[in-house]
Amino acid sequence: MPEWSVRYVAGLLRGAATSPVTHSLLLAFVAGGVIVALTGQDPLVAYREMFGGAVDGSGLRNTLSRAIPIVGMALAVSVCFRAGVINLGGEGQMVVGGLAGTVVAIYTPGPGAFVIPLALLAGAAAGAAWALLPAFAQTRLALPILLTSLLLNYVGRAVTGYLVRFPLADVSVTLATTRQVPESARMPKLPIFGGVSLSLLLVLVLVVAMAVVYARSVVGYETKMSGFSGRFARYGGVAVERQTVAVMAVSGAIGGAIGTHLIIGDALRFIEGELVLSGLAWTGLLVSLLAANRPILILGAGLLFSGLQIGGLAMQRNADISWRLAQVLQALVIIAVASRMSLRPRRRREADSVEVEELAVEPARVGQV
Amino acid sequence: MAIELELRGITKRYPGVIANDAVDLTVRSGEIHAIVGENGAGKTTLMSMLYGLFPPDEGEILIRGEPVVFSSALDAIESGLGMVHQAFKLFPTLTVAENVVFRAEPTRRGLIDREAGHAQVRALADRYGLAVETTALVENLPVGVLQRVEILKALYRDARILILDEPTAVLTPQERDMLFDVIRRLREAGRTILFITHKLGEVMAVSDGVTVLRNGRSVAELVTAETTPAEITRYMVGRDVVVTPRPARRSPGESVLSVSDVTVLGEHDREVVQGATFDVRSGEVVGVAAVAGNGQSEMIEAIAGLRPVAAGTLTLAGVDVTHASVADRRAAGLAYVPEDRHGVGTAHNATVSENLLLGYQREAAISRGGWLRLDEVRRRATELVVRFAIKSPSVTNPVASLSGGNLQKLVLARELAREAPLLIAEQPTRGVDVGAIEFIHGQLLDYRDAGGALLLVSAELSEVLALSTRILVMFEGHVVAELDPAAVDEQEVGRYMTGAHLTATHA
Repeated sequence: MPEWSVRYVAGLLRGAATSPVTHSLLLAFVAGGVIVALTGQDPLVAYREMFGGAVDGSGLRNTLSRAIPIVGMALAVSVCFRAGVINLGGEGQMVVGGLAGTVVAIYTPGPGAFVIPLALLAGAAAGAAWALLPAFAQTRLALPILLTSLLLNYVGRAVTGYLVRFPLADVSVTLATTRQVPESARMPKLPIFGGVSLSLLLVLVLVVAMAVVYARSVVGYETKMSGFSGRFARYGGVAVERQTVAVMAVSGAIGGAIGTHLIIGDALRFIEGELVLSGLAWTGLLVSLLAANRPILILGAGLLFSGLQIGGLAMQRNADISWRLAQVLQALVIIAVASRMSLRPRRRREADSVEVEELAVEPARVGQV
Repeated sequence: MAIELELRGITKRYPGVIANDAVDLTVRSGEIHAIVGENGAGKTTLMSMLYGLFPPDEGEILIRGEPVVFSSALDAIESGLGMVHQAFKLFPTLTVAENVVFRAEPTRRGLIDREAGHAQVRALADRYGLAVETTALVENLPVGVLQRVEILKALYRDARILILDEPTAVLTPQERDMLFDVIRRLREAGRTILFITHKLGEVMAVSDGVTVLRNGRSVAELVTAETTPAEITRYMVGRDVVVTPRPARRSPGESVLSVSDVTVLGEHDREVVQGATFDVRSGEVVGVAAVAGNGQSEMIEAIAGLRPVAAGTLTLAGVDVTHASVADRRAAGLAYVPEDRHGVGTAHNATVSENLLLGYQREAAISRGGWLRLDEVRRRATELVVRFAIKSPSVTNPVASLSGGNLQKLVLARELAREAPLLIAEQPTRGVDVGAIEFIHGQLLDYRDAGGALLLVSAELSEVLALSTRILVMFEGHVVAELDPAAVDEQEVGRYMTGAHLTATHA
């Protein structure tokens, strides 16, 4: 292994041990335990069942399977967040890309080795195209991506809903759904952990690739600087608008490919509204925030959240404690981490310019015209 | 006359900087008192503390002789203070009258009495000659009228002391004159007005007294009738920087930057730079002297590619860069030390090494095939840190922990290392300590002697005079004079900076 990567991993481990995130996680689990105790249940039993459910038997396969879209969507959003672009349209990009990939998988003849990559590419292309709408709305029309990307989620849901209800409908069933993805076009399963999708491998490759691009490439550097300060990047000659378009396209492409995986590697039919049911895009967004947009940490946080969700279901099954405790824990983790971050003393800018003055008037800035 | 308001020894510190340093201010009842100073002199900080937005670290505020402590703006309003901010704080979807009476609505049987509200506001507006339609929706009104609404808000709450923060920045000349009429009428009604500005013409036109702030200190209290714009300018621009000039080793060479008839637009599409024409040649320093807000910042931004050029042409090292991207300008030969080193010149959370890398990341020595050569990045950063004596624990520390002087040395190091034919240095020594100032001046003069073309903008007149080969004076968006620093003194430059030469020629 090259020296820089050893340094990188060592840095991550050292960071994890001293990180406020680690402490926050412990705090969240203690608080969650208190809540369980208050409901009259034994927290140790709850956690034992939850942990067991997430890793025992088929639990591990389920945890890893769910981690694929969570980590994938987190990676997608990290591309934008790192560059200071607030893309809240992951869900729409995932759904639109998912349907495009599904259509290719269903209607393209040929062997899986040809159809499956083609479906993923089609999903990525459609997701990217969907993400470019808010990107150009911002760079050309000055409409904030934050709003347009969010609102396009509903448009994406409606458009795909229409398509599977009418032109693409499988009329042999009563659901609003496409036909089933044919056997040959399904994502193969790996012969490990009781058959987890090959997509897991693709996501792992993506994690490593993105970690390297972020840390070592010119675009990784430029996007990071834009995320720190758009004015600084622009001053240094970074074409910030072009970059905004590019990160949106990449983010949408990852989202679209993940959407495609969810159908051809899992659900096998694109049923209206089903992709958005479990809020995977939003869980991914939280994971990326929790992991400070760093791919390796995203992998860890994504596995944690996936394990919480899968383990929560097992806990309900085996210990009769509501799986909603898992959601409570997820929320507690986020609150604990977020509050640790904001409780840190805010670093005031040393200022010899207008900034002190701007800072000074901030508290009274309400209801501006 | 009685003293209406007194500030004694007001001090406010932020990490690494003193925004207000033992500021004293005395304002008599029924006086229009101007507070002037460059950007960052501490005017707004001082007024915010007076208005209760945050407490001073030291010092006391007395109103009509009584010490007061404000924990919020509501306390300040209670004590008879009113403030009109630069950015208006109004509800766009409510009417003028509704905005004015907000939180103090006249009521009848517990319900808001709209009619009474309108009537009261209209009466108030008529009394002071504030032309507003009280039933108009705020979102439909032009800025000049919004300001009158803000003034009405303060008067409705019976403000005895009215603070106007740069009130004329957004006004047309006609609106400005109307505002001055209103202010004078308020004075006649016995109210006291604090008027924050850096436009000296307005100070002379409307104020009775002036307090000058510089670097967070009150450096002069003057009676308007007994002073001149030139004197105020002398206090504003400061002679804090002592510079030993060093004669150039050779005479200026070819033109590097050619600015030809350039017009630049600012807020509300106002022409903030009009028809600027000048050259900067290799081996010379062209200094720009101007009171803040006369278009110099916008002109520099336009040259650096951060603001569009509305008309005219820019030529840099023989290349037409009028509409070129920042990257293309930098490739053509631009290095730039910006005025705002915190927000533009550096990224606070990025490391020393990352900050030193910006602008070089696509160069062949630094990256290959889109991949950074990290060892080279690190080697180069370390070399610059040593060469420019930047005090930082390591190149992997975020620059947020660096002092002002070290941060500026970092920006200068990065820009000088380009060895570009043109260097723009804006406020290169503002807020840095004496040692760093000497170092920075030495570096700038070395650059000149190596054949560089330096365009220097500074609020420190002594710095401009000592370092420049030629001085351009800007006033209200125009380059009004080109002066030889050897042949003029500060008074002479100050006359051009305040537009006094214009009245002289007309007379």
